[in-house]
Amino acid sequence: MAETASAPARAPEGATEPVLRVEGLVRRYGDLTAVGDVSFTIAPGETYGLLGPNGAGKTTTISMVAGLLPADAGTVTLAGEPMGPRHPAARRHLGLVPQELAIYPDLTARENLRYFGRLQRLRGDQLRRRVDEVLELIGLADRANDATKEFSGGMKRRLNIGIGLLHQPLLLVLDEPTVGVDPQSRHAILESVAALSGEGMSVLYTTHYMEEAERLCDRVGIIDGGTLQAEGTRDELVRLTGGVDHVRVSGEGDLTTTAAALRELPAVQQVDADRQGLSLTVRDAPTAIAAIVTTATGAGMTLRDVEVSRPDLESVFLHLTGRALRD
Amino acid sequence: MSALRGGQPVLAVAAVELRRFLRDRSNIFFVFIFPLMLVLVLGLQFGGGSDGGRVTLGTDDGVEGSQLVTQLEAELAEQDVTVEHASTDQALERAARGRTGVAVLLDADDASSYEAGRAVEVSMVAASQSGSLAVQERVRAAVSTLQVRQGQLQALVERGLDPTVAREALAQAEAEVATPTLQVATDDELGEQFAGLGRFDLGASGQLLLFTFLATLAGSSTLIDARRLGVITRTVAAPVTAGQVLLGQVLGRFAIGMFQGGYIVLATALIFDVDWGSPWLTLLVLAVFALVAAGAAMLMGSLIDHEGTAVGVGVGAGLVLAAMGGSMMPLELFPETMRSIANLTPHAWGYQAFAEIQRHDGGLLDVLPQLGVLAAMAVLLLAVGSWALRRSLSRAM
Repeated sequence: MAETASAPARAPEGATEPVLRVEGLVRRYGDLTAVGDVSFTIAPGETYGLLGPNGAGKTTTISMVAGLLPADAGTVTLAGEPMGPRHPAARRHLGLVPQELAIYPDLTARENLRYFGRLQRLRGDQLRRRVDEVLELIGLADRANDATKEFSGGMKRRLNIGIGLLHQPLLLVLDEPTVGVDPQSRHAILESVAALSGEGMSVLYTTHYMEEAERLCDRVGIIDGGTLQAEGTRDELVRLTGGVDHVRVSGEGDLTTTAAALRELPAVQQVDADRQGLSLTVRDAPTAIAAIVTTATGAGMTLRDVEVSRPDLESVFLHLTGRALRD
Repeated sequence: MSALRGGQPVLAVAAVELRRFLRDRSNIFFVFIFPLMLVLVLGLQFGGGSDGGRVTLGTDDGVEGSQLVTQLEAELAEQDVTVEHASTDQALERAARGRTGVAVLLDADDASSYEAGRAVEVSMVAASQSGSLAVQERVRAAVSTLQVRQGQLQALVERGLDPTVAREALAQAEAEVATPTLQVATDDELGEQFAGLGRFDLGASGQLLLFTFLATLAGSSTLIDARRLGVITRTVAAPVTAGQVLLGQVLGRFAIGMFQGGYIVLATALIFDVDWGSPWLTLLVLAVFALVAAGAAMLMGSLIDHEGTAVGVGVGAGLVLAAMGGSMMPLELFPETMRSIANLTPHAWGYQAFAEIQRHDGGLLDVLPQLGVLAAMAVLLLAVGSWALRRSLSRAM
C-alpha cells in the first residue's frame, strides 16, 4: 500500500483513558456460551490482538464491540460512550473491517467508498477528499472507476480495509483481514495496519495466525472457548510459560560427558541426551549460546548443528489450553 | 443522538439500490424495451382504438367497384370507420386474428341484387376483441342507412322518376333538409366499459402494473446479494439506526418501482399517444402500487437466501398475480368467480383505479376505494417485510 495521505484520528494529546473498554461481556446461544465474561481495554494508539483458533469467540466478541450484537451481560464503552445496538451514535468512532469482503461487486471502488462515506455522514468536498485520500492510501487510485468484481482478491481486501478508514475512526476493528489472501497482499495489509498504528490509531485485530499477532500487536489477548485465557505484551505472555528457551545441539562425541559439563553452566536448567544430540532448557539462550558451544566442544563433541527455539505465542497457547493454536 | 438525524443514510441506501438495479445490463431489455414491445403487440392485436374501428370488406373479383361496395365504404367512412379491402378468405383470416374488428363479406350476387333493388343479405364476421362490438354496431348502422336510401330511391323510381334524376333529387334533399338526429343508447355494458380507450391505452396500464411489480420483486435479489456479501451488516455497523436502514431499503425498492412505472407512463404517452388521464392521479396510483410491490420485495428478499431462487419466484409470482389481476386480459372479461378472486391481487385494484382515471376521467374521490385497499396492502406487506428483514439481520450477526 502507499503511504498514508492523511493522519488517522487520534485520541487527544496526553489522553490516558482507554479508547475501548470491554467489561464482562457475555453472549449465549441457548446452552452454548459463545463469549463468557470477556474484559479488556485498548489504549489510544495501541494495537490489541485477539488471538485464538476458529470458533474461539473472536467474531462474536467483535460483533458486540461493534454494537451489532447485543450482549447478554457486560458493557462496551467506546471513547467514553456506551456502545450497543441501541446506541448507534458511538459507532462513528469505529471503523469495522469484517472478515468477508463486504463490498458491492457491481459498483466501482469509488462508488463503494462514497456509499459507506455517506453512511458515516461525510458529504460534499469532505467526502470527495476522503475518498480520494483513501483510494491513494490503498493503492487503488488508478482503478477507482472500475467495478470491483474485476479486482483481484488482494485489491478487494485493500478496499475492504479502506472503507473502514474513510471516516478516520478512533478505533479500527479488523476481523481476520488476511484470511485467504496471497502472501504479497498479506504483507501489504500487515504493513498498512502497522503504519496506521504508528500514526496513532487504535486497532483491535483478531487473528488465528500467531505470527501476525506477534508482529503487529502491542498487547495480545488469548481467547479460547469464549473466555480470555490471558492477556499482556508478548514478553508478559511468554513469561507465563516459565520464560525459558530451548537449545538443540546435534553432533558426535561423548554425549554423557558433554551433558554433564553443560549442566554446570548457570543458565542451563536441564539437559537431555539422545542418540543424535542434546536438548537443553536454557534461560536467555541468546546470551548463553556462546558458553554452551564452547563447553560442548571443550567436552570433545563435534558439533553439526545448534538450533535455538524461543517460546512464542503458540507455546503460550499450548501452555494455557493444552492444545496447539491450529488444532 | 443528533448525529443520527437526517435522511442522508436513508437516501444513501436507497440510491445505491436504484443504482445497482440500473447497472444490471439484463435490465436494459426487460425494463426499457420489453414493456413497450408488449404494449405495441397487445395494442396491434387487441386494441379497439378510439376511432370508429376497422372493417375489412371481403369481396369477390369485380365487386370492389360496385355501387354496394362504394356506398357502404362511404357510409362507414362517415362514421369514422377505417375500411380495408381484401378477398373473402383474407377478410375472414383478419377477423380471426383480430387484425380487423369486423369482416363484411360481399359477393357478385349481392352487388347485382343491390343495384337491381332486390333484397341483399350482408354477411358479417366479428373478431373476438372487445372493440369489435362497437364496430358491428357501426356496420349495422351503415347498412341500415343504405337500406333506407335504397328504399327511397326505389319509391321514387316506382313513381316514374328516372333513376338518375331520383338519385340527384335524393342527394339534393339530403344536403338541404335537416334530418332529425337519432341518439342510439346501447345496452352493451361491455362496450361501455372500454368506451374512450385508445388502441394502446388498455395494454399500457396492464403492462405498467405487470412490469412495476416484476421489476420491484426482481430487485429483491440485490437485497439478498447485499445480505450474503455482508454489506448489510457493514451498513448497520455505521452510525445509523436499524430503522434508517429499513427505510432506505424500502425507499430503494420503491424507487425501482417508480422508475419502472414512470418510464412506462412517459414512454407510452410519447410513443403510443396513450392517454393516462390526470398525470398526478396516475402517479399517485403508481406510487401506492409501487409501495405494495416494495413491501413484497422486502419480504421476499428477507425470506429467500439465494438470488436465483428469488428471481425465479419473483418472475413466477409477478406473472401469476398480473394474470389474475387483469394485466393480461381485461378484468371485465373474467367470469364472476375469477373476478372475485382477482380482488386478492394488488394488480386488480390498480387496474380498476387506472380504468376510472383513463376511461371515465375519474378524480381522486373516484379512486379512493382502490387507493385505500392498495394502501392497506402496502402497510401490511411493509410491516411484515421489515420484520423479516430485521430478523434476517439479527441472524446474520
